[in-house]
Amino acid sequence: MSNKKEKELNLKGTLYSVGFVGVFILVTWFMAFYLFIERF
Amino acid sequence: MTTITEKAKDLVKVDKRDGKLALAHIYVAFISLFIGGLCGLLQTLVRSGHFTLPWGIGYYQILTVHGVLLGLILTTYFIFGFQIAAVSRTAGTLTSKQRLLGWIGFWVMTVGVVMAATMVLLNEASVLYTFYAPLQAHWIFYLGLTFVIVGSWIGGAGQILKYIEWRKANPGKPSPLITFMVVINLALWIIASLGVATSVLFQLLPWSLGWVDKVDVLISRTLFWYFGHPLVYFWLLPAYMVWYVVIPKIIGGKIFSDSLARLSFVLFLLFSIPVGFHHQLTEPGISSFWKFLQVVLTLMVVIPSLLTAFSLFATFEIRGRMLGGKGIFGWLKKLPWNDARFVVPFIGMVAFIPAGAGGIINASHQMNQVIHNTIWVTGHFHLTVATSVLLTFFGAAYWLVPHLTGRVLTKEMNRLAIIQAIVWSVGMSIMSTAMHIVGLFGAPRRSDFSTYGGSAQAAEWIPYQLAQAIGGTILFIGIILALYIIANLLWFAPKGDEEFPIGEVSEHAEKTPMVFENWKIWLTICIVLILFAYTVPFIDMIQNAPPGSIGYKFW
Repeated sequence: MSNKKEKELNLKGTLYSVGFVGVFILVTWFMAFYLFIERF
Repeated sequence: MTTITEKAKDLVKVDKRDGKLALAHIYVAFISLFIGGLCGLLQTLVRSGHFTLPWGIGYYQILTVHGVLLGLILTTYFIFGFQIAAVSRTAGTLTSKQRLLGWIGFWVMTVGVVMAATMVLLNEASVLYTFYAPLQAHWIFYLGLTFVIVGSWIGGAGQILKYIEWRKANPGKPSPLITFMVVINLALWIIASLGVATSVLFQLLPWSLGWVDKVDVLISRTLFWYFGHPLVYFWLLPAYMVWYVVIPKIIGGKIFSDSLARLSFVLFLLFSIPVGFHHQLTEPGISSFWKFLQVVLTLMVVIPSLLTAFSLFATFEIRGRMLGGKGIFGWLKKLPWNDARFVVPFIGMVAFIPAGAGGIINASHQMNQVIHNTIWVTGHFHLTVATSVLLTFFGAAYWLVPHLTGRVLTKEMNRLAIIQAIVWSVGMSIMSTAMHIVGLFGAPRRSDFSTYGGSAQAAEWIPYQLAQAIGGTILFIGIILALYIIANLLWFAPKGDEEFPIGEVSEHAEKTPMVFENWKIWLTICIVLILFAYTVPFIDMIQNAPPGSIGYKFW
C-alpha cells in the first residue's frame, strides 16, 4: 500500500471505538464475575 | 463523483413480481408486530400488579402469542421478504420456478402460522415460544410449526437456486455480497431447523396425538436449543447485511472490505450452531466437559462480532473524514444524522454493544447461574432481537417498502421515523434496564405477577416491574408509530422511485478470494463441528435416558 493511501486511511477513531467496546465488555463481565464470586 | 454507470446501478429496481412476493411476507410480518406487540404491552401491565386480563385470558397465553408472533413469525417473514428482494436486486430477477417456490413456501408457512396461532388463541397451546416438553400443546400447534419450517425450506430453496444460477452464469467471479450473505443465512437456518423439525415430528407430534405416552424431555430440549441459538443468528445476520452492505451506500461511503464481510458471515455459520448447550448450562444429564466445549465454541462468535464492529467503525470514519471530519471523533459529526435510513439502524448497532456484553456473561458457563431463568435474560434478548435487529428491520423497511410499492419516503415520514426510533430507544432503555437489574436481584422470567406469599424479596421487585410497564407502554407507542409509517409507505406516500441502496466495495480493499464460495469446505467444517459437539453427549443421553414424562397442561 502506498504512503498516500495510508494517509487517506486514518483509522484512529476506529481504534479507540473498538477499544471502548472491548473495555466495556471486560468491565461488565468482571462486574458479573464479582457477583458470581460473592454469591456462589 | 458519481458516474453514469453508477447512477444507473442505483436505479436498478426489484422486479414487480418479486416485489409482490417480498411484500406478501412483509405484510404478515407487520400484522404479527401489531398483535404480538399488543400482547407484550398487556404482559408488562399484568406484571406491574395493577392490571388483570379480562375474559379469562391467561398470562401464559398472551406470553405465548407475544413470543411466537414476534420471535418466530415477525422475524422469519420479514427476513424472507428482505432476502427475496435483496437476491432479486443483486443476482437478478427470479425465474418463474424460483418465484413459484417462493409463493409455495409463503403459503405453506402461512397455513402453519394460522394453525399454530389458532391453537394459541383458543388456549390450547400456552407453552411459550420455547414449547418445552413436558408442557403439552394441542397437536395442531406442533403440526402448524412443522408447516412453518417446511415452508421456509421451500421458500429458501427458491433463493438458493437463484444463487446457483448466478454462479453458473458468472464462473470464477465472487457472487454479489448480499446474495452470498443470504445463502449463508439460509444454510444456517436449514441446518439448524433440522433439529427442531426432528423434535416436533418424532417426539412432540406423536406424543401430543397420544400415539406414545411419554417424551424424553432432555432430548427435546437439546434439539430445541440446537435450533434455538442459531435462530438468534438467523435474526441477526439480515441486520448485519444491512449494516455491511446497505448503510455504506446510504452514508455515501464504501464497504470497508468485501472479504472481511464474507469471512465474518462464514464464521457465524461455523460457530453459531454447535453451541446450544450454553442455553442448558444448568441442565442435568449433560456432562460439564461438553458444556464447557460448547461454551468455548460460543465465545468464538466474539471474533466475527468484533470484526463487524471494526468494519463498521472504519466505514463511518473513512466517510466522515472524507467529508472533512477532524480529530479523533470529529468524523462522527459528519454522518447523516437527519436520514432515518441511517439513524434507525445506527441506534440498533449501538444497542448491540450492551447486548453483546450481556450475551458473553450469559454464556460464561458457571457464571450463568447468576442470571439463569431470571428476567435479566428477557432484558438481554429485548436488546438483541427487539432493538438491534428490529430497529434495523424498521430502518430497512423505510426504504424497502416504498421501493417495492413505487412510492417515496417523504421528509415528514423520515422525521417521524427518527422520532419513532427515539421513542423505541427510550422505552427499551427503561424496560430492558429494569429487567437486567431486577434479574440480578433474582426476579424470575416467564412468570405472572406474584407476591410469592408476601415475601420481602419479591416486594423489592415491584418498582422494577412498574418501570417495565412504563417502558412497555412507550414501546407500544413506538409500534403504533412504526405501523403508521409503514401504512403510509404501503398505500399513501407520493408515487416515485425510492432507491434500494447497495454499497460498493472500497478501492482500498483487497480482491475477494474465491475460497469463500467453496461450500464444500464450509459445510464440511460446519458439520464436523456439529458432530464433534453433539455426538458423544447425544449417545450419553440415549444410553442413560431419564424416564420419559407424560404431558402436562397447566392452563
